[in-house]
Amino acid sequence: MRRRGFLKALLTFFGTVSLASFAYPLVRFFAPPSSSAVNEKVVLAKQEIPIGGSKVIVFNDKPAIVINVPGKGLIALSKVCTHLGCLVEYDKDKNRLVCPCHAGTYDLQGNVISGPPPKSLPKIPLRVDGEQIIIG
Amino acid sequence: MVMGEKIRNWLDVRIGLNELIRTQLAEYRVPKNINVFNALGTIAFVGYLIQAISGMFLMIYYIPHSDHAFKSVQDIMTIAPYGWLFRQMHVIGSNLLIAAVILHMVTIFLMGNYKRPRELTWISGALMLLLTFTFGLSGYLLPWTQLSYWATTIVTSIPTAFPVVGEYISRLFRGGDYVSGITLTRFFALHVSILPPLFLILMAVHVALIRRIGLSATPFGKSDEEKRPLTEFRKKTHPDGYPYYPYLVQKQALMVIVYFMVMFAFITFAPTFFFPEATTVPADPFRTPETIRPEWYFLAPYQMLKLIPNKFLGISMLIVVAFLFVFWPFLDTQKEKNIFRRPVLRWVFISLMIGWVILMWWGKR
Repeated sequence: MRRRGFLKALLTFFGTVSLASFAYPLVRFFAPPSSSAVNEKVVLAKQEIPIGGSKVIVFNDKPAIVINVPGKGLIALSKVCTHLGCLVEYDKDKNRLVCPCHAGTYDLQGNVISGPPPKSLPKIPLRVDGEQIIIG
Repeated sequence: MVMGEKIRNWLDVRIGLNELIRTQLAEYRVPKNINVFNALGTIAFVGYLIQAISGMFLMIYYIPHSDHAFKSVQDIMTIAPYGWLFRQMHVIGSNLLIAAVILHMVTIFLMGNYKRPRELTWISGALMLLLTFTFGLSGYLLPWTQLSYWATTIVTSIPTAFPVVGEYISRLFRGGDYVSGITLTRFFALHVSILPPLFLILMAVHVALIRRIGLSATPFGKSDEEKRPLTEFRKKTHPDGYPYYPYLVQKQALMVIVYFMVMFAFITFAPTFFFPEATTVPADPFRTPETIRPEWYFLAPYQMLKLIPNKFLGISMLIVVAFLFVFWPFLDTQKEKNIFRRPVLRWVFISLMIGWVILMWWGKR
């Protein structure tokens, strides 16, 4: 290899390595910090949610809803629509959860009834301990 | 010698001002059949200038923090002297600008001016339109209203339709799991410091290409030379055309006046036209408004997403449409520029326009 060719190859190599060495720091720099709230527990008094009623809570930094479904008992679901992230609202009269953004609807178990949501609303573990509802 | 002439002479001996004016304005010839639609690019340029200047004024009072953003925008509207004027010019200007750019692209399409050798001019223009949409989206969050918060939630959720990298991209935009103050800072940085230089580079490329390749004659009623085999570069000139100044400059000035008239008609007679109710309510991350509609230019894709039952399919379709739009010159390889002699293309265009209007109207309901 001639000297000019060797210098060209060397310059290309070091130039590429120098630029590539910025890739990882950049990806890390832009990568958001992960959420600090995980596996937290939310405690509610049982009388706060009568039959047919609901309560909006914040669970792991995200909005969720606890519904006392007539005949089926308490259920806790994420309020974040699985389509594009809007918050679903509880339609008590029609017994369903409706997303106002793209008209996705879910039943009170979180299953998709209609519209574009790709999957059910995530269920959040819940148990009743005496007069308390423990979510999470 | 009057002062103006002295300055002109001073500049002439240093930078050849007189020659520059002669070659770029008087001797620069434009086709005789050029029309006001050829001035739409200038309208877009003036529109961007208005956005940049009014945006700089707004930055003096705006505070890019989730605790203060909404209040600072309210203060601009109510306390800062004439703040309402510059905010209205910025908001209404952004809508008019997008309308002008879309109209510019439509007329370029109808006149077939995207065809060879102007493929790169079209691509740079199409990318500028996409960047303009991104400007709109990033600026939308800044007032931190209910509408801006939830519109941004929807848009930043779009990447989640894609497996593996989708969640990462979504978090990259949001700076976390959901839209928060971090997102506001990121969007502010995008709006005022990342997008403008990118846009200026594209604009420089676009204008340089127009000047380098030369203006295309309007194809209606007159055959154009671009049907020749493209084997070597040849700048399109119009030696028998009219001088750029004053012929086209007057048309451009007229269109700029019309642009300002429309803008001030909105500011005077319909100041709330672009401010639906949800833009007057501060962002509430725990309640999505009952009716949430995007800006008019996103209504058609919004309705499309609503109608297509599969999220991945719906979003993939939007990306395919954007891709087809940007690279259209490579898909339509027919040499005929006159759309009146292209019945299939004409019907495709009319169908697309009708489809777009129907989706917009449906999305607005």
